[in-house]
Amino acid sequence: MPLNQSMKGKEYPAVTVPVEREDVLRFADAIAEDDPLFRDSEAARGAGYPEQLAPPTFVTRMQILTSAQVVLDQELGLNYAMVVHGEQEYAWRRPVVVGDVLSTVPRIADIYAKKSNEYLVIEAEIKDARGETVVVGRTTLISRGTGVG
Amino acid sequence: MTMAARIKFDEVAVGDQIPPLSKVVKREDVKAYADASGDQNPLHQDDAFARSVGFPGIIAHGMFSMAHVAKAVTDWLGDPGALKSIEVQFRAVVYMDETLVARAEVAAKDEVTRRVRLRVWAEVERAGERVQPIKNSEAEVELA
Repeated sequence: MPLNQSMKGKEYPAVTVPVEREDVLRFADAIAEDDPLFRDSEAARGAGYPEQLAPPTFVTRMQILTSAQVVLDQELGLNYAMVVHGEQEYAWRRPVVVGDVLSTVPRIADIYAKKSNEYLVIEAEIKDARGETVVVGRTTLISRGTGVG
Repeated sequence: MTMAARIKFDEVAVGDQIPPLSKVVKREDVKAYADASGDQNPLHQDDAFARSVGFPGIIAHGMFSMAHVAKAVTDWLGDPGALKSIEVQFRAVVYMDETLVARAEVAAKDEVTRRVRLRVWAEVERAGERVQPIKNSEAEVELA
């Protein structure tokens, strides 16, 4: 069944995530990231950063939460068993650091069909506690075989 | 907020490749990634589930491969803050015990912004063929 096109532009409740040292270390371990900038505040300060850095794709933790909100939205009509992650984009204004409190209001930026697949684009502008943009994420999910084409 | 990248703008040329970054993808790595990222989809942990949706066994998260590609780029740069954007397309799955190799090549240089566009990809060898789980993708970096 095709996705509900009228959901284009819909915004979802804000997701807020504090960037904890322990979560950053667990993420760094999981991706075998041993650069001291991601593991040690002193090393990061020595390099001119205010605090220990989070690996660039650490924000995937937020993207999982924002995508879940959209995917589970009954009104959208998405069958999760048919969904694959097609594309992912991140654009950083600055690196994420331990102590940041990140917040985003995810929205459905686009829904379109190509052949028999449908594409769902979720955009999340992730801001810090001062309201300044830190990173913009764009996730494209593919709903396989639900298009009319 | 950035230290200077170790790589100098004037020292790179279109066509240069960055050092490839290889890793053997183990079941425990994928489990650790699931816990660290919060993506607990059973497709990445439960072989019986993976088989029920048509795969021979569990597959790595696409984002696991993307993290590996981003690490290849930041290892080369020497400064994570010099990575400005990355945009990937997931085109093939990665199975356990495969060797995932992240690669990148300089595609274009902008003399005004001192930003460089990289073509990035990830590959595995499977049954004698080269498969690209991440393909037609790019990153933008700012060099000193």
